[in-house]
Amino acid sequence: MERSTFEPRIIGFLCNWCTYAGADLAGTSRIQYPPNIRIIRMMCSGSLDPTYVLKVLLEGADGVLIGGCHPGECHYISGNLKARRRVAILKSVLQDAGLEPERVWLRWISASEGAYFAETVQEMVDHIRALGPNPLKLEWAV
Amino acid sequence: MSRSFSVGELKGLDVPEAIRKFLGTLLESGAVKAVLVPKHTPANNMVTQVLVADREKLDGADPLAPVQMINAAHAVRELAKEPLEQNEGKIAAVLRPCEVRAVIELIKLKQILPDSLYLIGYDCPGVYDVKEYRDRVEAVGDADKVRGEVLEQFGNLKERKAEAAADPEAVLRGACQLCTHFTADSADLSLCWIGAEDHSLLVNVPSEKGEQLAQAMEGAAGLEEIREAPGRTKQIEAVRDRRLKAQEQDQVELLSELQACIRCYNCREVCPICYCKECLLIPAKMGYSSERYLRRAQKKGQIKMPVDTVLYHLTKMNHMASSCVACGLCEQACPMDIPLGRIYSRVGRHVQALFDYVPGRSLEEELPVTTFKEEELPQVEDIKR
Repeated sequence: MERSTFEPRIIGFLCNWCTYAGADLAGTSRIQYPPNIRIIRMMCSGSLDPTYVLKVLLEGADGVLIGGCHPGECHYISGNLKARRRVAILKSVLQDAGLEPERVWLRWISASEGAYFAETVQEMVDHIRALGPNPLKLEWAV
Repeated sequence: MSRSFSVGELKGLDVPEAIRKFLGTLLESGAVKAVLVPKHTPANNMVTQVLVADREKLDGADPLAPVQMINAAHAVRELAKEPLEQNEGKIAAVLRPCEVRAVIELIKLKQILPDSLYLIGYDCPGVYDVKEYRDRVEAVGDADKVRGEVLEQFGNLKERKAEAAADPEAVLRGACQLCTHFTADSADLSLCWIGAEDHSLLVNVPSEKGEQLAQAMEGAAGLEEIREAPGRTKQIEAVRDRRLKAQEQDQVELLSELQACIRCYNCREVCPICYCKECLLIPAKMGYSSERYLRRAQKKGQIKMPVDTVLYHLTKMNHMASSCVACGLCEQACPMDIPLGRIYSRVGRHVQALFDYVPGRSLEEELPVTTFKEEELPQVEDIKR
């Protein structure tokens, strides 16, 4: 069976209190997940300016995972719900720009959900692998 | 509840003259100490914002002149950035609908203090690009005539032929061709000519603040309450429908258009919504060390200079699209003729639709980015979209 050699490169912007801790738990629990994700820790998903997501997409990252606390569990009360609005705006802008909004994922993953974090990364890698490389990778005029 | 008035002393005057007279009476009534209004420059080839305190200086004031040098919200911001002393009285700003809406957004963004302001809006027939306007005035030699043409096109004075071969609006600025907010419904007081019979000017009073003004003027100007002009709604809807269709048909290849960007920041400077004193997108923050430019070029094989032009625009969109009033000043300011008005207004429409938000519709509606609902936007968490 022929296998694609394309390995998606995914940037994760994870909130310090939930998803980052979830990723940590996945690691300490020795749960296997694809090594395609590079994690950047944020204090809150609500502190993520869309420019950082745009920057990595324009630089050729194949996907971006934004991880925050479940609604109602934000360490800063409502940062994650504000993040959801920003991500909605971001996806709308990407759509209008003819870019692929489905390269940007927003997931709520708590500190105790190490297995769910691993699942999410696996699911995302599969999805992006099917989607193919980010066409902007070769685009020099942006 | 909005009320409409006809103005006794304005009957029989043409609309620009009636507006001047109305503003004169307003100044005289003492309800305001000055009006901010567009006025022809001495050379008569441009129209600029002027703060008029002396009634005599209203000659040449012409809000309907089809040109817009700046979004007047910038000027209003200067005039209402700090409280005026009590006895200084109030300022009435005479604004296009997109300017009224920008002022309301800036009030919500805490950049304008509303206390010392009355917002007087008016029906806007659209504007030309400044260069186009200057050329036309030069060619025709008469600014009144240039204005008259635009008003006529809009369909007030003659019944618009729906199936006209060439779209007469196509010469207007891109954003104006697609504008569906050409009446100032959220101003304190709105000067209306669309659908009015025998060219008369009607005064709509949508707000309580506007009532104060109307009352101050009632005796002086002979305000007379009437039912809204009968043809008005119909005509407004006809224009709106036509432009909604145009919006749907409007296609613009955003990424390829933006490749012409030279990152001069003009679009940000003229944008009424981009108010930040320190912008994330300043050159110092977007630039790199010489070493890094080289490394990036090596990584990608080649990079465009200046870098990050698309990043600049997409970030700007993310920051201001929810409040974009689609005034189109960005398009006018672009030295590379990128159709930014069409691009930004389209992106803005889609973003605003997510939150059922219309910038400048109401002071009460919260800005989409400063609020949230606990249950909303399920599609954002759904990976497929």
